[in-house]
Amino acid sequence: MRIETCYFCSSKIYPGHGIQFVRNDCKIFKFCRSKCHAAFKKKKNPRKVRWTKAYRKTVGKELAVDPSFEFEKRRNLPVKYSRETWAKTIEAMKKVENIKQKRTGAYVMQRLRKAREIEQERDIKEVQRDLALIKSPAAGLKQKQTEEQLQDEKQSDEEMEIVEDGGEVTL
Amino acid sequence: MTRQRRKKIHYGDTHLKKKWRTKRRTKDLDEINEDIKAKNCEQLLNQEIDYDKPGSAQFYCVHCARYFINEQALKEHFRTKVHKRRLKALETEPYTIEESERAACIGSWVEPQKRKIETQKPLETSEPNKKKIRTE
Repeated sequence: MRIETCYFCSSKIYPGHGIQFVRNDCKIFKFCRSKCHAAFKKKKNPRKVRWTKAYRKTVGKELAVDPSFEFEKRRNLPVKYSRETWAKTIEAMKKVENIKQKRTGAYVMQRLRKAREIEQERDIKEVQRDLALIKSPAAGLKQKQTEEQLQDEKQSDEEMEIVEDGGEVTL
Repeated sequence: MTRQRRKKIHYGDTHLKKKWRTKRRTKDLDEINEDIKAKNCEQLLNQEIDYDKPGSAQFYCVHCARYFINEQALKEHFRTKVHKRRLKALETEPYTIEESERAACIGSWVEPQKRKIETQKPLETSEPNKKKIRTE
């Protein structure tokens, strides 16, 4: 039994699933489902379609280059069967899978942590820049102005009173 | 008798379906990537006269994989948006089956390389001379 990979989204294709297209230059394109096949027919570029593995790797959302990925490869070299090597490889596969999962997980977590730092920086910048939306820079000015006005009125009132007093005196 | 659907949902879809038929398939970018290589390119530009093809297969654009009826049409095509867009698309190495496997963690991921791509103009100028020789 062979598990193939989808040409478009790079997911696994188990026997009995998907469809394949043979181009007139003998290249075989395998698709996991009609969604991928339709996208291929529309000549979409998998590197630019967000839900494919190719996109996630080009943009750096997933761990792309790692020695742990070198174990599983198309080598095109026949290996003579022996029970011992079979048993060993099965055990090695488990270990490799464990390491792969740990590393990919660590990569994602690292990215998330970095994102938090960037987010905080961005928030601080935003607050500093747009503080005017919450508190107007002219708020203090207006208060001062009203206070000044009040003081002026008081002074003018006092003057008026003096003038009035003077008037009475003349009468 | 059951009630039949009144509204035609897929009315006018035919032209799209026809476009994506394998019968009407045009060359993919990775095939063109092979054609661009000097050896194949020369072969494609100096094709034998074939009366079934437009312009007897004498005026071919390698990047767009299209035949034109005469030199003027070909030269005008080089100035079009379609051609320029195709050159831009070819600037990064096209996606292949091997790359789809690499994306599935079978081997390490290799970043697609960027390169410069220009229209095949210098080759085109030498073409009419050859054609003349043939006709003589």
